[in-house]
Amino acid sequence: MAAPLEHTSSHLGSRINIDLVAIALGLALAALIRFNILPSIPF
Amino acid sequence: MSSPAILTPTESQRTPPSLVALLPGVALLFGIGIAGKLLQGALTLLHARYPHVFIPRIEYVLLAILLGLAVGNTVGVSERFRPGVATYELWLKLGIVLVGARFLLQDVLHIGGLSLLLVAVELALSLSVMTLLGRIFKLPPKLTSLLAIGSSICGVTAIMAAQGAIEPEEEDTSTAIAAILTLGAIALVTFPAIGHLLHMSQQGYGVWAGLAVDNTAESLVTGALYGQDAGRWAILVKTARSSFIGFVVLGYAVYWSSRGLAPGVQHKGLFLWQKFPKFILGFMAISVLATAGFFTTGQITSLSNLANWAFLPAFAGVGLRTNLRDLTGQGLRPLIVGILGEVFIACVTLALVYWSYSHGVAR
Repeated sequence: MAAPLEHTSSHLGSRINIDLVAIALGLALAALIRFNILPSIPF
Repeated sequence: MSSPAILTPTESQRTPPSLVALLPGVALLFGIGIAGKLLQGALTLLHARYPHVFIPRIEYVLLAILLGLAVGNTVGVSERFRPGVATYELWLKLGIVLVGARFLLQDVLHIGGLSLLLVAVELALSLSVMTLLGRIFKLPPKLTSLLAIGSSICGVTAIMAAQGAIEPEEEDTSTAIAAILTLGAIALVTFPAIGHLLHMSQQGYGVWAGLAVDNTAESLVTGALYGQDAGRWAILVKTARSSFIGFVVLGYAVYWSSRGLAPGVQHKGLFLWQKFPKFILGFMAISVLATAGFFTTGQITSLSNLANWAFLPAFAGVGLRTNLRDLTGQGLRPLIVGILGEVFIACVTLALVYWSYSHGVAR
């Protein structure tokens, strides 16, 4: 299972560009927290 | 390669799965991660209630991996869950971007600068040692190149990046990936034990894990198993190491192309940009914002909590994708080369970390 998942994820990465999605999501979450739209979620 | 289930390039040409198709796998990732966290809470509670009974205190990181391993190696990950489970890489990268809030730019520049120096030494040594071992053990030359690339930079990502550039046999790619994942699984067990044995500091251990463990996910987990701070430092150093991916893959592409065994590289600048792990830019952006005082202390804690939530499914993913049968069924020689090379790299990087801290290069 190890390799197939990696292959799939790389495949996803090549089509959608996971890096850019991660950056966009990260910055969006940071903005939501900065302007107090998203409440603090304890871990 | 032992696993017949590996996707062939033809199969991987399929269209990306829809968001709905991702849901079952994503739910499985979060379910396992949350179960690990709840189990840790339950163990802590039991420990407090029955102090005289031996109840192991196990971190949620390890519990999530163990639960993932148990699911992946018993019932298995069915076709329905696979697209969503493969998103563990997205959660890992989102966590790394968010954890940038915990690093002030001066820390990034100081430790990042130091780690770039250490990474350069590690790169030169691991590339030469793996190449030498590959020749001694008479591995196919392109498999040797893949093992060298995977062990020096960032494991599976680097191997996949090199695949298109040096055009190895498909079996070589699968063997190299399986060997790197096996070595990552071994590191999860051995590194924390060595760290405790040597009473390493959180920062020193994290720097070591970032330098010596190949896959980004395994590197983070190896760090986090030692402590949350160690996990953060492992991410920072691993990120610095990953930034070299383009240069190393380009070097190998030019080498194999000069021998007529791989396509030529037309635009080297474009090639470097395409191979560069761009999530590092997100990490840097959040770090710059945190340094500039864009977030309050409470908001930085909130971002850190979100990073931990993002890492949770990534930990589960590490367990789910580790197939214990694959770890033993890949042929002995690539694994021996990998183990010998990795032991060498682990020892050298450990010595480098000790040297850096004892000479005040790191603080």
